[in-house]
Amino acid sequence: MCQVGEDYAEPPPRESLPAPRLGCGQKCVKCKQGEPVVVIRAGDAFCRDCFKAFYIHKFRAMIGKNRLIFPGEKVLLAWSGGPSSSSMVWQVLEGLSQHSAKRLRFVPGVIYVDEGAACGRSLEDRAKTLAEVKQVLHTVGFPWHVVSLEEVFGLPPSVLRCCPQELAGTEGAYKAAVDSFLQHQHTLQVEGAGDSYSLARGDEEQSWPQSQDPHGPPSPAASPSAAQTEALCRLFESVQTLTAKEELLQTLRSHLILHVARAHGYSKVMTGDSCTRLAIKLMTNLALGRGAFLAWDTGFSDERHGDVVVVRPMRDHTLKEVAFYNRLFAVPSVFTPAVDTKAPEKASIHRLMEAFILQLQAQFPSTVSTVYRTSEKLVKAPREDCAGEPEGPRCLLCLCILDIDAADSATAFGAQTSTLSQMPPSALQAEAGTRTAPCCAVGRAPGCCWKACRREHDSQTQVIQQLCYSCRGNMKDLPSLDPLPPYILAEAQLRSQRARVMQEIQDYLIEDSDAETETTQS
Amino acid sequence: MPAPTCASCHTARAALRRPRSGQALCGPCFCTAFEAEVLHTVVAGRLLPPGAVVAVGASGGKDSTVLAHVLRELAPRLGLTLRLVAVDEGIGGYRDAALAAVRRQAERWGLPLTIVAYEDLFGGWTMDAVARSTAGTGRGRSCCTFCGVLRRRALEEGARLVGATHVVTGHNADDVAETVLMNFLRGDAARLARGGGLGSAGEGGALPRCRPLQFASQKEVVLYAHFRRLDYFSEECVYAPRAFRGHARELLKRLEAVRPTAALDLVHSAERLALAPAVRPPRPGACSRCGALASRALCQACALLDGLARGRPRLAIGEHKHEPRDEGPRSRAQAAAAAF
Amino acid sequence: MAAPLSVEVEFGGGAELLFDGVKKHQVTLPGQEEPWDIRNLLVWIKKNLLKERPELFIQGDSVRPGILVLINDADWELLGELDYQLQDQDSVLFISTLHGG
Repeated sequence: MCQVGEDYAEPPPRESLPAPRLGCGQKCVKCKQGEPVVVIRAGDAFCRDCFKAFYIHKFRAMIGKNRLIFPGEKVLLAWSGGPSSSSMVWQVLEGLSQHSAKRLRFVPGVIYVDEGAACGRSLEDRAKTLAEVKQVLHTVGFPWHVVSLEEVFGLPPSVLRCCPQELAGTEGAYKAAVDSFLQHQHTLQVEGAGDSYSLARGDEEQSWPQSQDPHGPPSPAASPSAAQTEALCRLFESVQTLTAKEELLQTLRSHLILHVARAHGYSKVMTGDSCTRLAIKLMTNLALGRGAFLAWDTGFSDERHGDVVVVRPMRDHTLKEVAFYNRLFAVPSVFTPAVDTKAPEKASIHRLMEAFILQLQAQFPSTVSTVYRTSEKLVKAPREDCAGEPEGPRCLLCLCILDIDAADSATAFGAQTSTLSQMPPSALQAEAGTRTAPCCAVGRAPGCCWKACRREHDSQTQVIQQLCYSCRGNMKDLPSLDPLPPYILAEAQLRSQRARVMQEIQDYLIEDSDAETETTQS
Repeated sequence: MPAPTCASCHTARAALRRPRSGQALCGPCFCTAFEAEVLHTVVAGRLLPPGAVVAVGASGGKDSTVLAHVLRELAPRLGLTLRLVAVDEGIGGYRDAALAAVRRQAERWGLPLTIVAYEDLFGGWTMDAVARSTAGTGRGRSCCTFCGVLRRRALEEGARLVGATHVVTGHNADDVAETVLMNFLRGDAARLARGGGLGSAGEGGALPRCRPLQFASQKEVVLYAHFRRLDYFSEECVYAPRAFRGHARELLKRLEAVRPTAALDLVHSAERLALAPAVRPPRPGACSRCGALASRALCQACALLDGLARGRPRLAIGEHKHEPRDEGPRSRAQAAAAAF
Repeated sequence: MAAPLSVEVEFGGGAELLFDGVKKHQVTLPGQEEPWDIRNLLVWIKKNLLKERPELFIQGDSVRPGILVLINDADWELLGELDYQLQDQDSVLFISTLHGG
């Protein structure tokens, strides 16, 4: 229908076509001397040195202004081998070197997750990639953890629990931490105990990552068992759509990283999401029904796990900047095919949105930055008019606070879960005919007629009921939930048992207080 | 590949697969389900209380045609009285044909129809006259800017004229989904902040508005019209440029091809978006000229008309562009008047 | 060799505007080697019926997203979409969801 009623706003002014071609004699816009090598934004040509300074500054500024990473804190860098996360690792390396004026002061480690099994890669191919990966990791010299996605089959259910931690994120606490760090470092230097706090800590850690090295001492986690590889392949093959596959991969990967972070005392995880990626992710997640979680999914910091906070320090860098930087300054990266590599544009919501945004960006150069800026205005609290306690139940998979309503409420969720579409027409007609009074207007009363024909709860529905709107949509593309890793199914069962017990206690208490009221009244 | 049998009656041949559930239904079972769902939206959302006099914004197009038809089916059970209100924007050729369709519908359904014309309401301005006046100033877009503001006002006036207590419009799930996509793509945080709800309760004297088809997909609306053999008007407005919405619409269609629930998923997202308090529109006051909701001295409609009268329509629109960040009074007034 | 087919092709919801405003077309598809399916019906329509702006009706080898296709009044998604093999006397209806409101 005619939409002008709601969109009669003028669209924001769009940047016009790219700036005029660089003249031969044009100089760097920054220093006015250097030979320009890269054009960023509309028409700003930077020389090599100024571009480097600009790029590094953006990275440090992002970390600095958010004041979330404390000196001496252990930070796990999630490295996929791809350009953005590689660039991130290099920025940290650069930032920790003592020549830097504004040195980064946290203690890094790197995690690489081998997802080959989910993408159907052969063991030989995976081994080849891993050799490359380890070579880069040796060059970097940070403690590292190379884990395979198969390890999700050995995760404990507790990984799905939020561990609230007192957030020391206040301005005062940050300042105090910095001060005490500087003092500590000063003492170290006086004693001549080491020239770098972080490097000293780094050495300390050097011993254990070796245990994951195939050439090092044997370790139970060294390489996945054939059974686990088969189980993972079976799981991913059973997923009917690429959209759900991508989401599942993301979910399992983040659980695994969370587990490794917790097991080794990392309180921050850094991911390499660029501004371009985040804009695409935002639109993708919007389309996947994750509207309530956009601020967590794409903001600078993501505190959903409580004790381990995910941060995205590359979120100001565009993919173009990353690509140029990596090329100009020889940042190594390792290419690995992903689930969607070479998939056609319409194979998944992710691919489609990526193609759309990049295409629109080509037409309107401000597209990515507009979407990205809008995301900054989103907040992490549930919307006021959407009932939900801040500490309400969490989604079993994405660990966000559940964003669902009572079934059959007048919402998109209600419309989708409504039992109406499962009713025979005669029943529908009866419904339509008899329901003059809004008996179910609240839609929440237990035993209300709309819920009468709910099916028996089996383990499948048990899991589904503990999922947010979007994760439910993804799980619909799994014909059976049985191939899911055991920790998910176990936690689902544990939670529903707990809920049952809580309900019983609740009922008992209510009866009790009813009795009390009666006694006092009589 | 033979069509499966209907999952509801198990006898007839299925005629469609429902986007929201993947269920294959025959025509009659689908129509029954569709009606029951609209009923459910109205009841569960407490949109239209028994005894309400409901003005249906009728354009002759598919959405308002389906909405009016379904509400007419449901009216006795819901205790509603229906009135059709059509707006004559004064667009030669296009509007005449659309209004003819509305007249035919009103006659067939035996519903009272009231047509309110821009020309009568707004001191002689028709859209064609506005278009001539704004020609050369980026015509298409500013035409729609005017038309949107004025139509909202006209529908409100028409509804009051027929003694309505509520206004309903035919926006469907795809419309809401396109809007949320578009508002992100053009960075319209203020509008995102209010989107998502089913309508507005009618603060500040405005009539409560709602959109009972908000959870119905475009595809289902069109198929419902097809199976019920509804006659509707389907031509594009001559002034519709729709450039930017066009992108969002195309994207949505492609998304739906990949995942049939995409429109509803986007509606869910829109319902749940939480924006920082700073971008939420402030509480509006009243327009000093007409008394309608306004965040400034004049409401959006009056400001536009004022600009037209002074022969500076461009200025009336242009002003808001200079407002820092915020999307300007048009959106606030609109937000307040109704959450469309 | 498939025999010629007589089918009814109908356009609605505004799609007819690309076909000179004519909604119903009783057409005869000539006999050909391959059986007639929707895929080659679209090619035939583009060549023989479509009057203007083909991109508003056909994109790639399928209809533009947002155009519904009903074969004998059933959604083509239930019938194999482009691969549906036409039978004599079939009716194929294209409804645009993209116009008006």
